[in-house]
Amino acid sequence: MNVNFLTAVMVLALTGAFLPVINRIFRITGLAGVAISSVGYVAGILLIAISDSGNEILNNFFVTDEVSRLIGVLIILASWMLMSVLYWILNKDKYVNEIIGAVLISTAGALLLISSTNFVSLIISMELMTMPTYLMVLFVFDDRAIEAGIKYFFNGTLAVGMLLFGVSLLYAMTGSFEFSVLAQKLFKDPLVMLAAVFILAGFGFKITAFPFHFWGPDVYDGTCPGVAALLTGISKSAAFIALMRVVFESLPLFGEGGMSHQLTIIFAIIAAITMTVGNLLALAQRRVSRILAYSSVAHAGYTLVAFAALSTPLSVTGILYHSVAYMFMKTAAFLCFAVLLFVWGAKTMDDYKGLGKREPILAALFLVFLLSLAGVPPMAGFISKVFVFTAAVKAGMLWLALIGLLNSAFSVAYYIWIAKQMYLEEPTLEKPVNDRKDRNLVLIPLGLMAAILILFGIWVNPVLNAAGQFVSGL
Amino acid sequence: MVLLSMILVPVILAPFAWLGEKLNRDFPKFLSLGVGLFLALTTAYLIVKYPGNGFAFEELYRIYPPFDFNLHLAIDGISLVLLAIVAFLSITVTLSSWNVEKPGAFFFLVLMFLGPMVGVFASLNLLWFFIFWEFTLVPMFFHIGIWGAENRIYAAMKFFIYTHLASVFLLLGIIVLYLHTHTFDFLKLLEMGVDSSVAKLVWILMFIGFAVKMPVVPFHTWLPDAHVQAPSPISVFLAGLLLKMGAYGLLRWEIFLFPHTSKFFAPFMAFIAVLTIFYAGFRALAEDHIKRMVAYSSINHMGFVLLGLSAMTAAGISAAIYEMVGHALVISLLFMIAGYIHHKTHTWYISEMGGIMKKIPLLMTMFVIGVLAAVGLPGTAGFVGELSVMLAAFDYYGWVMIIVPLASALGAGFFMWMLQRAVFGPLREGFENLQSLKELPLVENLPLALYIAAFIFVGIVPSVVFNLYNPVVNMFAQLFR
Repeated sequence: MNVNFLTAVMVLALTGAFLPVINRIFRITGLAGVAISSVGYVAGILLIAISDSGNEILNNFFVTDEVSRLIGVLIILASWMLMSVLYWILNKDKYVNEIIGAVLISTAGALLLISSTNFVSLIISMELMTMPTYLMVLFVFDDRAIEAGIKYFFNGTLAVGMLLFGVSLLYAMTGSFEFSVLAQKLFKDPLVMLAAVFILAGFGFKITAFPFHFWGPDVYDGTCPGVAALLTGISKSAAFIALMRVVFESLPLFGEGGMSHQLTIIFAIIAAITMTVGNLLALAQRRVSRILAYSSVAHAGYTLVAFAALSTPLSVTGILYHSVAYMFMKTAAFLCFAVLLFVWGAKTMDDYKGLGKREPILAALFLVFLLSLAGVPPMAGFISKVFVFTAAVKAGMLWLALIGLLNSAFSVAYYIWIAKQMYLEEPTLEKPVNDRKDRNLVLIPLGLMAAILILFGIWVNPVLNAAGQFVSGL
Repeated sequence: MVLLSMILVPVILAPFAWLGEKLNRDFPKFLSLGVGLFLALTTAYLIVKYPGNGFAFEELYRIYPPFDFNLHLAIDGISLVLLAIVAFLSITVTLSSWNVEKPGAFFFLVLMFLGPMVGVFASLNLLWFFIFWEFTLVPMFFHIGIWGAENRIYAAMKFFIYTHLASVFLLLGIIVLYLHTHTFDFLKLLEMGVDSSVAKLVWILMFIGFAVKMPVVPFHTWLPDAHVQAPSPISVFLAGLLLKMGAYGLLRWEIFLFPHTSKFFAPFMAFIAVLTIFYAGFRALAEDHIKRMVAYSSINHMGFVLLGLSAMTAAGISAAIYEMVGHALVISLLFMIAGYIHHKTHTWYISEMGGIMKKIPLLMTMFVIGVLAAVGLPGTAGFVGELSVMLAAFDYYGWVMIIVPLASALGAGFFMWMLQRAVFGPLREGFENLQSLKELPLVENLPLALYIAAFIFVGIVPSVVFNLYNPVVNMFAQLFR
């Protein structure tokens, strides 16, 4: 791992840790808080930008390559925008600096997670990413949030328990924590196979893949939506990148004698069920937060389609692109929901009626994110789906691509349903719950996210180059 | 830069229409008119400079060459004709919506629609073609959903979901094609032979996408709802441009790219075309709702377009393109006037009308001219189009096609019957003192006159249109041998 990259992680974590301390001395809120945390974010981005040179450290545990650099910058960007919106929403709240501190530490964990190349570092960084979020889910502290927090805590510990069990089994059998030893013994020793299943199950919880998806919607719905944005957007994308490293760096996949076909069918079935279940359940929801939550389950399914295509290098492109697009569009969609919930108290589909008239620009931005989730060009959500399904067809799974595309076409029904409620219906909500003077400020980070989504929908080079380098490094 | 500017100028100026409404309510429509004039002038420039054959005005913007994700723009005679329709309709639609409610949002969406529409006809990169193709849905959804009639929300949702679902098959076809050729570029694909079994799979997948847009039976059910609920100017966009996308895509990306596979499927296409012609004709005959009737006659005409394309000869393809032009001009006029009739009589149903010729002679005269053109009166675009399609179909399929002129008679039947019930005859009770039943203002009459002038002009001098694309069609027709 590059020293500069590690410094970026440190800077973010320390900014997060000191934010509550600074708050004790000079009460910081709103813009001041954004300014102080932004120092950490900007420093992080700059340090990652120069992380292609400098000393190497901890090379057994972490790696700094093109993927971790690109995804690192994008995670920081997404988290930066999230932080700004959270500060705006929680302006009056007593513990706002504590929650932002947790966001920063969790982001630092995500940065470590996407660069880990060893099961020990993987588990440590995953815990670093997850621990602060246990706290954040409880933040609202009403009955629903406590229920969500407990559910999240138990599921999170269950996930990490499975992961740990799998890894310790692997260590007992092979005496190593390296990704690559998993492959050498995988199909020879049934206990190693069992270890692989447990590791996969641990990841299944994190990425809300079927049949481990039950906690997701309850938690995203129960907690403050700004926190849900972090959980479902950034944490999940980072987990996807980590899973990609585990799968691709442990298994000799490409070419003759590749070990892909046994795994392919498992991933393909999980992917098909996950996206179908996510979309069908999303169609049945009345609360917008639950729709977004189930759509995030469906999107986990799309990414798993790319995993199922692991016999072809295009698979890496699909995973990377969909993680990038998903990170921005899902985070931003939840943030839009958070702002609308805060200002208008809009929770259900009925509340969303006519919000396009009440909040023209915010609703238009929300529409951009929803259309991106639905896969309408020219947003990044479209081109990422193109890569995912191209990979699936390339791997000889036309049926999976067809299921995925049909799913994506039917999922449009609920995204466009929200658009319909916002623009085509008459308003039901008369007065804002919280009328803030500085309403327009919150549009800046959201507008930036929309711009990034459209940019990445057309300018595909950074992600494709990173994917190319990752594949050639295998 | 010309083609790129034709795509970008409307899209970039679109937000200003929205913002400008706050300053001056009249600003958006003048902006839209200005963009329409810009498109018309650039198209005129392109027509003048067009060398007569092959692709011209090539522009290549490399984005990611290894994936062939490059914006490759170029036009030939066929695209040029369709660009001319885009420019013409952008002006007439702006004039027809001169007094629309919420002009800022309306013209914002109009401009957001026009840019990608140019892109569809000018893109030689299949993936970019799809991007433009798909994006046109979004403005159209809001146009139908916000400005539509009573049942607009249902129609808008049905339109979006139905056509998006169809696009999924098109996208899958594009992906399969890419994986076998590693290119999206039309010119490279043209040189490359595609394995016949792959070509058949791609052909079927893409055909589903194009057939829904055209639309042909049995994929037509979204269209009557969308047309009936859409405001009349938007019906013009739907009929004049959105349906043309399907026919153009079929021609450019299936018939030209896979001539042999298309030849294999030609009888199938011809069967669907004849089915469409008859089915839509009979539905129109049974229809009491005047706009729905025009919508079915629009499907009927698109059946003729598909029949011309299925003939797989230079004559058939030329005829189909001509029929597309005629359809865009004639059906647009009919949709506009059907909308005005509803506006004036407050009813959609033919059985509740009668004798309105006596009250609004000028508008109804234009309606009769439009109907005659749709039926195929010599001297209008409708006649040339239908006749040349039928001749080409006879030529290729022989005497089986004797049934097609019968369908033409069917078209004459439902239109004339409608005229007799709704327009002529004694004036219906209650219409005598109806305040709304009066002639249109000039600004709304102007586009109608433009449609009539255009279709009579191209009907009398069809060579104006034919000459633009005939060399191109002849060149591609070499592939069918």
